[in-house]
Amino acid sequence: MALTKKEIEKIAELARLELGEKEKEKFAEDLSSVLGYVQKLSEVNIEKVEPITGGTSLESVMRKDDETKCISDSQMREQILRASPNRKDDYFKVPSILE
Amino acid sequence: MNLNVLTIKEAHKLLEKKEITSVELVKAHFNEIKKRDKDIRAFLSLNEEGALEAAKKVDERISRGEPIEMLAGIPAAIKDNISIKSAKVTAASKILENYIAPYDATVIKKLKEEEAIFIGKTNMDEFAMGSSTENSAFGPTRNPVDLERVPGGSSGGSAAAVKAGFSVYALGSDTGGSIRQPAGFCGVVGFKPTYGAVSRHGLIAMASSLDQIGPIARNVDDAAAVFEIIRGVDELDSTSVSPATAGWQDYWDSTLDIEEIKIGVPREYFIHGLNPEIEKNIKSVISKLEKEGAKIEEISLPYSEWALATYYIIMPAEASANLARFDGIKYGYSTMNKEEKLQSLLDVYLQSRGKGFGTEVRQRIMLGTYILSAGYYDAYYTRAQRVRKLIKQDFDHAFKEVDVILTPTSPTTAFKFGEKTQDPLSMYLADIYTVSVNLAGIPGISIPIEEVDGLPVGLQLIGKNFDDVKLLKIAKIIETLSK
Repeated sequence: MALTKKEIEKIAELARLELGEKEKEKFAEDLSSVLGYVQKLSEVNIEKVEPITGGTSLESVMRKDDETKCISDSQMREQILRASPNRKDDYFKVPSILE
Repeated sequence: MNLNVLTIKEAHKLLEKKEITSVELVKAHFNEIKKRDKDIRAFLSLNEEGALEAAKKVDERISRGEPIEMLAGIPAAIKDNISIKSAKVTAASKILENYIAPYDATVIKKLKEEEAIFIGKTNMDEFAMGSSTENSAFGPTRNPVDLERVPGGSSGGSAAAVKAGFSVYALGSDTGGSIRQPAGFCGVVGFKPTYGAVSRHGLIAMASSLDQIGPIARNVDDAAAVFEIIRGVDELDSTSVSPATAGWQDYWDSTLDIEEIKIGVPREYFIHGLNPEIEKNIKSVISKLEKEGAKIEEISLPYSEWALATYYIIMPAEASANLARFDGIKYGYSTMNKEEKLQSLLDVYLQSRGKGFGTEVRQRIMLGTYILSAGYYDAYYTRAQRVRKLIKQDFDHAFKEVDVILTPTSPTTAFKFGEKTQDPLSMYLADIYTVSVNLAGIPGISIPIEEVDGLPVGLQLIGKNFDDVKLLKIAKIIETLSK
């Protein structure tokens, strides 16, 4: 299972990661070796085995929306906004999305 | 009196009897940090002023004759992926280097209600991805037992802080062994509770179906004391379970009789790759237990062989999804240019994430992205979830026969820096005995036993779902026996 440089570039694009040229080679090598290892699972007979989809058997846990909690805390709200790299008043400022 | 080796219980008694003050206790720990942490580097940030202020409050209560909580006035170190309001929380990543937590994690809220004292935030592998703390963006932590060696990881800073006498106990997080393995490497106790026993609200997520917060402490009693405070249902973590559902007992209520205990020893954990000296020490504990009347049974966990491969599919898949939130837009490191109007949004994503994440993190995001991409999802992810089911069934089956399962925590003792950083697979093998526990969602604890060549050895005990208290009680018996 060897990934090509082109495949690495495709995955990096999907993952929204910019990689250096040298890194692409290193990642191709390391990812191929990990993927080679996990191929081991093809030895296991999984017919008729239902997949586990999470860490518990709890289902559809609900809670009430309660505006007195969390974000109504004005100090917290300000701290969250202050953490943004680019802000205008109470908004997050982002580069234009449409080309 | 050496205040840097006290257990929680000892410190609590001394505080109650007014033989020491919390301020003295806190100062003793900061003195030790100032002396030795420039070499060990267990901490990413310290909270000296805040800690002393909190300690004074506890001392005032004591001097007024008020009763105090078990953890009140006692120093704790917190892994830097757990949020404390208004303090930096970095996950040891450049992408969160200047991020200030806007709220308390639920475990922190609970510790604050106890008037616990937060000494500082501990170093770790970036986003908890690693087994040595060598992946920290801010430099590795050194093992207090031998500075040439790693403390394990990812909660390496927490384990080192407890071992070095920088704090009485610590919180860590465990996704595939990140509490138990460093506890083993540093010679302290590390406990990963049942999945759902402790709320993860406020923990920076890595792999959500595996992550769990737990204590690192000097002995089993202390781990139990911290666990009993932090456990419980939380509406902010929908995977947390109520104590009633869990059927929890109280650790302090009664002790277990050794003759009532049935211990399973899985033959798959004692094969190739295990250091023979570690095996010898584990086996000597087993024969001691048998001599004292415990029933020892050889068991089989046939799907153990595929646990690590299963883990290295599920973990990166979930991590790649969780880490998608770091986009350079809402918080954290960003290449967004405030002046330039023509910057493209895609470039902000690519560059912020490309520069903000370290190598191992990017590698796991890439791996997860590939595994979850169209055409590969079933071959990798669904297959791994099915094998995960088989691994869980192995344990379900075993626990019909035995109360706990006894294994080594790690196949080796603490290794030297750089020994495993070149080849990711060799690093991943450090978790071979611990990952199954996370895949099955069950509790596990590592306790120190007899050393090998002056280096700590961890013994792992694995329990049934929500049998955390019984697991702790049996761990206590083994701890007493191996002293």
